[in-house]
Amino acid sequence: GQEFQFGSCRVEGVVLQELWAAFRAVKDVVQAQDNITGVRLLRKEVLQNVSDAESCYLIQALLKFYLDTVFKNYHGKAAEFRILKSFSTLANNFIAITSRLRPSQENEMFSISESARRRFLLFQREFKQLDVEAALTKAFGEVDILLTWMEKFYQ
Amino acid sequence: DGVAVLTAPQNLSVQSTNMKHLLTWSPVVVPGEIIDYFVEYQGEYESLYMSHIWIPSSWCSPTENPECDITDDITATVLYNLRVRATLGSQTSAWSTLKHPFNRNSTILTPPGLEVSKDGFHLVIKLEDLGPQFEFLVAYWRREPGAKEHIKMVRNGGVPVLLETAEPGAAYCVKAQTFVKAIGRHSAFSQAECVKLQGEALSL
Repeated sequence: GQEFQFGSCRVEGVVLQELWAAFRAVKDVVQAQDNITGVRLLRKEVLQNVSDAESCYLIQALLKFYLDTVFKNYHGKAAEFRILKSFSTLANNFIAITSRLRPSQENEMFSISESARRRFLLFQREFKQLDVEAALTKAFGEVDILLTWMEKFYQ
Repeated sequence: DGVAVLTAPQNLSVQSTNMKHLLTWSPVVVPGEIIDYFVEYQGEYESLYMSHIWIPSSWCSPTENPECDITDDITATVLYNLRVRATLGSQTSAWSTLKHPFNRNSTILTPPGLEVSKDGFHLVIKLEDLGPQFEFLVAYWRREPGAKEHIKMVRNGGVPVLLETAEPGAAYCVKAQTFVKAIGRHSAFSQAECVKLQGEALSL
């Protein structure tokens, strides 16, 4: 069966199509709220040319940020737009993924994890430069960019 | 909130087979009255980050039956809390919560139904349609000493699949098991079904 392989991190028990179905159900409603069209949080510099080894560190940082910051603070909007079901599917599948990620802590991986951290900080810095509500809306609206990148590691 | 005067539903439990999840409970009985039930769920995310948040079930908010198909609500392989309450007009019971959170990876997987048929010299099978979550691993072999077992993955049930172009007069046996990506588990193999070209299917 298919699974995620972020370098040495293997994640079973998550069906990417379920995540896509959940996001597609809310994509129009969510992205219509994003008025800052000239800015992209998940820019090329964050997601392009990510090595397999880096990918486990990066996906862990990104998903944790989505769980701790984006979903947590966007929940009120999700209730307002009546999209709680899809919101819950995405959040709980992100929980399922992060709970199964085991990035290596070995010393020789330090430079790789640092590289992944720099990519994540690029994303986080961009997020913090926006007004909070606008940043939350844009980040949630960019879940399709995240899923597209994650798809490369779904085999 | 209405005053809680109705008794709360008791004996909540989940029966899950082949990724179909049914929440059941003991009915609340008020002679001559129809009771409505409301079912809500929260996944691990909600219980970790916002435990006050519960989401109404897709099909049972409300329902009159003491059961609820929660399959469409359980959309991740994490623990889910489930709760039910009864209402009668403005009267509302307390919530009853499932004692042990439910995870879909505990579902019972049964061997798939399997039909083996011949179309001329083609060996054709049809597997039980169990829904999009299911893939099938099919094993088949010629029924003769030392025969090699062949394996074929079948993505969907419910449609005929050509397994092999067989030799006249040869007998073939087939068995299958399901695989569910969402939980990374597979069922036991079905019983082998054998068929002899130009003969009738033989059950072992």
